[in-house]
Amino acid sequence: MRETILASLIIITITSCAPTRFVKPLAKKQQAVNLSLGGALISYSKLTIPMPFVTATYGYGIDSTLTGFGALNITSLVYGNAQVELGLTKQLLQQKGVWPGVSVSPVANIIYRNKDASKVYPQVDINAFWDYNNKRNFFYVGISNWFELAGKRVYDQEQEHHWLFNPMIGETFVRNKWNYNIELKVIAPNIANNTSIVDYKTPFGSHGAFGIYIGCTRKF
Amino acid sequence: MISRNIFILSVIIVTFCFAGCARLDDNLFNANVHKIDHYQLNNYKGEVDFTLDANYSIPTNRVNLFTLQSKGADEASSTKIYAVYIGDTTRISSDTVIVYCHGNKDHMDFYWPRAQLLANTSSKNRYGVLMIDYRGYGLSEGKSSESALITDVDAGLQWLKSKGLSGERLIIYGFSMGSIPATKLAAEPRSLRPSKLVLEAPIASSEALVQDASALALPGSFFTDLKINNADLIKNVKQPFMWIHGTNDDFLNVKTQGELVYKNYGGAANDKEAHLITGAGHSNVPVYYTFQKYLQDVGAFIRK
Repeated sequence: MRETILASLIIITITSCAPTRFVKPLAKKQQAVNLSLGGALISYSKLTIPMPFVTATYGYGIDSTLTGFGALNITSLVYGNAQVELGLTKQLLQQKGVWPGVSVSPVANIIYRNKDASKVYPQVDINAFWDYNNKRNFFYVGISNWFELAGKRVYDQEQEHHWLFNPMIGETFVRNKWNYNIELKVIAPNIANNTSIVDYKTPFGSHGAFGIYIGCTRKF
Repeated sequence: MISRNIFILSVIIVTFCFAGCARLDDNLFNANVHKIDHYQLNNYKGEVDFTLDANYSIPTNRVNLFTLQSKGADEASSTKIYAVYIGDTTRISSDTVIVYCHGNKDHMDFYWPRAQLLANTSSKNRYGVLMIDYRGYGLSEGKSSESALITDVDAGLQWLKSKGLSGERLIIYGFSMGSIPATKLAAEPRSLRPSKLVLEAPIASSEALVQDASALALPGSFFTDLKINNADLIKNVKQPFMWIHGTNDDFLNVKTQGELVYKNYGGAANDKEAHLITGAGHSNVPVYYTFQKYLQDVGAFIRK
């Protein structure tokens, strides 16, 4: 029965439709275009699959420690919703030996359907990363945080959840013109998943969901 | 090679961009997960939510399978749908009848134990039970839609009316997705005005579904054009109302779905009753309730 309303598959992806945009800032004046695919694992027709979400991102190196970016959620667009992300990635600490580099990415997620249906979700991602193999690759861990600002939900009920956090780990393979990325994310482990109509697949029991994402980035 | 792949991907994305009109409405319906080429009812061996022992069996001479023509006011032609009536069709004019609006999965064979159980309310075959397969379900023709749910159940009510049933002896019972036509036809009667409404694990609204699934206060219109709004419609229901819901329902949340419907009931406070079944999930309420107590309470509500 639960697999039926595939409807809702799309929904949670608003908070989990893509991997972290930029863990490390681009070089000054460098541009990059990224395509990512993936999402939360769900049970569908007896299979466990990641939701097939596609996101396109453009980034620009404002300086060597600050990158501005904009992203478009293609899958939301298919449903007639313009979902864009506008954000910055700022490197706060450089890597020193075993101590990782640290970056923070404040993001505004804007979803617009019509004048009666629009939302803005603030998001803050914090990542720690380690370059290795002569900076050919880097590994990272981080937390993506979404914030629901609305105090009420439909029928004036209390909006119970205001903070959705998503811990993640990822690996980026750096090449001259291309980067390739894979990321694993635990989506909203603070929220029970057994009160929803979606059958999320997660090793964490009755809470949250588990996401897998792949992406490639072309640098200019 | 990579550039070529990126080009192909870009074409796909641009195509998606210009689509822009996908909606999730059809996913409400989960018909014929287990396809059938004929109805088996008593002899169905496929997946069901629960099984009944011989005490609840219905004699085959009281099981009437037939077809109806369903046609909405805005439709040019009618659609053939299947229905089953448990009882004596020659006595409908003097019997009390429960119209059972089933959920969103499979077909009438899947829901047969539920209809069979209701045919044991108060005592075996005391009440007639009518169940239909909505368009697209079982062997019913046509395509499922929100409006067709209501049209199809009303086709069943028209048939009952043609057999002499009056609204005073009609009880409408909706389970899960079946709460949509049940609430609608109780709030805004068409062929017959049901005298009582029973909702088991009802949906509050499509927006509440979206918000439950996302844990966020998202507008339902982001994803669906469905107009499901039982929580508002129930305000127009003045007939006595019985609400049944499992406390561990992991599909339609008891608090954010069922309780909303119950709170918004538009009739007198003493005309509504709530039965929260501790430990029950979405598909096993009668099991946790125990069949005997379930039938006893439904029977008492009908006789009240």
